[in-house]
Amino acid sequence: MSSALPWSILLLPLASAVVILLFTLRSGRVSSFTSVLAALAAFLCSWALFTSENTRAIELTWIDLRPLLYVPLGFVIDGLSKTMLLVVTGVGALIHVYSLGYMRNDAGKSRYFASLSLFMFSMVGIVLSNNFVMMFIFWELVGVSSYLLIGHWFERDAAAEAAKKAFLTNRIGDFGFMIGILMIWSATGSVVFREIAMQMPQIIAHPGFLTIAALLVFCGAAGKSAQFPLHVWLPDAMEGPTPISALIHAATMVAAGVYMLVRVGFLVQSSPAALGVIVWIGTITAVMAALIATQQSDIKRILAYSTLSQLGYMVMAVGLASGEAAMFHLFTHAFFKALLFLGAGAIIIMLHHEQNIWNMGGLAGKLRVTFLTFLVGTLALIGCPPFSGFWSKDAILALAYTRSMPIFVLGLFTAFLTAFYMTRLLVVVFLGKPRTDAARSGREAPIVMTVPLLLLAIPAFLAGFSFVATRFLPLPQEKEAVALVPVLATLAMIAGVTLGVVLYRNREREPLNIALLRKRFFFDEFYTWLIGVTQGTLARLSDFFDHWIIDAGAVRGLSSATWGIGALLRLFQVGNLQAYSFLFGLGIVGLIYFTIFR
Amino acid sequence: MQAAVLEISALVLGIFLLLCEAFAGALDKRRLAYGGIFGLGLILLASFFVTAGPLQPDAVGFWSFYAADPLALFFKRFALATTMLVLIMMLESAPRIQSGLGEFFALPIFTCAGLMWMASAIDFVMIFVSLELVTMSFYVLVAYTRRNPVTLEAGVKYLILSALSTGFLVYGITWVFGVTGETSLARVAAAFSQPNLERAPALFGAVLILVGLGFKIAAVPFQIWVADVYQGAPTAVTAYLSVGSKAAGFVVLLRVLSAFFILPQVQRLLVAVAIATLIYGNLAALPQTNLKRLLGYSSIAHAGYLLVGVVSFSGAAVGFYLVSYLLMTLLSFTVLIVVANSAGGEEISDFDGLSKRSPFLALAMMISMLSLAGVPFTAGFFGKFMVFDAAIQQHQTALVVVAVVTVACGFYYYLKVIRAMYWESPARAAPIAFSQLSRVTMTGLMIAIITLGVYPQPILRALSDASHPVTAQR
Repeated sequence: MSSALPWSILLLPLASAVVILLFTLRSGRVSSFTSVLAALAAFLCSWALFTSENTRAIELTWIDLRPLLYVPLGFVIDGLSKTMLLVVTGVGALIHVYSLGYMRNDAGKSRYFASLSLFMFSMVGIVLSNNFVMMFIFWELVGVSSYLLIGHWFERDAAAEAAKKAFLTNRIGDFGFMIGILMIWSATGSVVFREIAMQMPQIIAHPGFLTIAALLVFCGAAGKSAQFPLHVWLPDAMEGPTPISALIHAATMVAAGVYMLVRVGFLVQSSPAALGVIVWIGTITAVMAALIATQQSDIKRILAYSTLSQLGYMVMAVGLASGEAAMFHLFTHAFFKALLFLGAGAIIIMLHHEQNIWNMGGLAGKLRVTFLTFLVGTLALIGCPPFSGFWSKDAILALAYTRSMPIFVLGLFTAFLTAFYMTRLLVVVFLGKPRTDAARSGREAPIVMTVPLLLLAIPAFLAGFSFVATRFLPLPQEKEAVALVPVLATLAMIAGVTLGVVLYRNREREPLNIALLRKRFFFDEFYTWLIGVTQGTLARLSDFFDHWIIDAGAVRGLSSATWGIGALLRLFQVGNLQAYSFLFGLGIVGLIYFTIFR
Repeated sequence: MQAAVLEISALVLGIFLLLCEAFAGALDKRRLAYGGIFGLGLILLASFFVTAGPLQPDAVGFWSFYAADPLALFFKRFALATTMLVLIMMLESAPRIQSGLGEFFALPIFTCAGLMWMASAIDFVMIFVSLELVTMSFYVLVAYTRRNPVTLEAGVKYLILSALSTGFLVYGITWVFGVTGETSLARVAAAFSQPNLERAPALFGAVLILVGLGFKIAAVPFQIWVADVYQGAPTAVTAYLSVGSKAAGFVVLLRVLSAFFILPQVQRLLVAVAIATLIYGNLAALPQTNLKRLLGYSSIAHAGYLLVGVVSFSGAAVGFYLVSYLLMTLLSFTVLIVVANSAGGEEISDFDGLSKRSPFLALAMMISMLSLAGVPFTAGFFGKFMVFDAAIQQHQTALVVVAVVTVACGFYYYLKVIRAMYWESPARAAPIAFSQLSRVTMTGLMIAIITLGVYPQPILRALSDASHPVTAQR
């Protein structure tokens, strides 16, 4: 019985997506309840799986061409995947419920819930896959379903563009991922994680090969987890409905990259060079995104950049060869970031789709539950002891402190920035006076939206305590843990909060104006320019090719050649029986000559 | 139950249908076809309960010319399935048959018996007799609509050239018998491996036998009849010719080569033939505008890919390729029959805008074309994949390079059909009518193509049993 549990967790959301697409597209109500039920059931199954001792699942053979290629349909069920399943289905189920409220009056409700179920299916698939091929397929499915969800309001150009951008940017990373998988397969002859792990000594003998393969696999993670320089899609993805931002772009999809890196930790950790690159990519992302976040005025964009920055922390931990620290931060982050996004969603919907923080203000008294839960999320995010974020961020910083001073200093600086921009957000949105009519007329969100907020606030507060966290995942054990690190981190946090309060209390407009940060380091402009240049060059090249080689050479050459061959073939295909028999005999003579006399 | 029961019941079924035709009076002839399909289905079911015969190479009596190994059983089922599908196609094209509908439905069943015997034949005498049983019934079937001059011409061409090739086959067998004094494949193989063998006459005999088989599988330089005969014959018969006859040719080739591969020249010869077949089939298909002719040339090209598998000794690759080839070829021919019934012609331009007239037919045709071209997630892709893999493992690099280049070439003419269906505007807007049975069959074939493209395991498992005896005999 319990060996069928993983299958039911995987297939329940798929069944819901299929049922909705085939039968209930007309009725948004039925569709939404189908999808929510499937998500809740998947969560219950995950819980059952988590509490059971079971580590086995029925394994099917998909493609068996041994010794060339063997692809099973199999699951890996260990502490890592069990916890990840809980996070994915737990946060996912809450967001399904919340969506009932948020998408109440949406015309495309059925489509939305079908895509949501498809997304859950793909995400659970990534978590459970025990081989690269399966994981890659689910990886791409996540890409597709996120494309559908970001572009849910496809009639808005911005949403359609954002969906396209997310998909294409992910494709760049996935291409590297695929080449990495092919390299590993060609070296070990296997795509199954367990078998690759056993064959690692062979690959370690070729450090150059290993580094390239590991970095290519990291490429895939960088795309999904939006690491520099592939981070540009995530902020734009905020064009999707807010529950999607919470689900995909905070708790699950972007965490997939980190999860994958931890899953193949045996591979990444055997290459010091690759680790070096990964840790710096993570650090750059963390600092850069935090800097950009300080100057944004769209509430969801601020949260998006803060997600980028926190993902940078997780990748940093992977680069410091500590999968435990990365998973710990992923675990706590999933709760408080989903909480923050859902809180933002409640504000947005109650203010009739107002997203600019400078058009809000004074909401603390009106959206009381939202404010309190948002406060909990903020305290967790900025690492205020004893909230969950404090513990997991501290683990990563302590790790950096013992390994590399520059990384530690930058990590500390990011912690300071985080506290600063979150305080700015909180002060501008909730405190002071309402600045617009919309803000003055704000009301508390309906109960289907506040209950998920309250439920998420509990783990956002608790999940960091070691007595809670150790039940779910192994905590990083830093031997020479120093008391200095938490003290410094707390000081940085206090400094950030103080600066934020001083700068932004009772402001009507943005007091600072740093164009470089507001324009996000001009990344989008740079990419547009780069694409323009490469496309222009390519277009000119292919124009040349088309004009001179195809038109002049191939077409005219081919047409005369075809004519010649046609004439030649016509000689054979005369349709005349005598000629056919003659050619037949000629063929036999030729074969006999070729075989016997040569 | 012994394996030979299957062939015998097929023969009895055929004779029974003929008697019904003769004595049952005013009977709707279509009933005969339904009866045939049902009977063959029963035999197919029974084939899962037969016991395998003794496998030792020194078997005497019946078992020295009849093998009931898994390979034989696999191809017996293959022949049965093909014949059932062809009967369904014949039902669809029945309105175009002027007379003798009853015999038209009974003859394929005799062909089927021949094909099944061929799958089991391990003695030259047996091979020859079963081959002739198949060919005889094809002579009649190809020329069935004999009032149509094109068909008549095709029938005569097929008759004369096939007789010619049969002559060479018998002549080759006598040479081999003269050299070794044996007709049983196992003993011929043993004799060929003797060091004091007279090389030249043995090779001469082997080449002549390969000529006869080369005609059956339409390999270059014995392909010249294909285009005319395929175009002229009734479409259902063309499909049968290109799947059933070809598959049987390949089974016999696999068996015969297990004896001949001891001679290194044979392999060299086959590599050359495979390369020539690949190039000829694909290049000649490029400029075709008649879909039936195009499929004829494409069947030459596929014979080339199958030969790549044969040269690489991979019974599993050949078997899988044949299964995928069966599915996609029969699907495309079924669509062709239906469309030709309504359009009156078999040109690619008759398919213009098919997606608007009948999305179902267009989808079916698209799937079969994609599979023929070898697009991933179709059965055709895995067939090519396995054949190429086998060739690479045998270090046949030149062969693989040619094969891959010709695959690219194949995309051009297969996609031409898809373009016509989806991008051209239809000449007529009338929807196309066809029977429920055909719809169910096409749906089944489509599902099978996609399923095997995603999950090839069932056939691979069936073949992993079947491919051992081939290697064991060698």
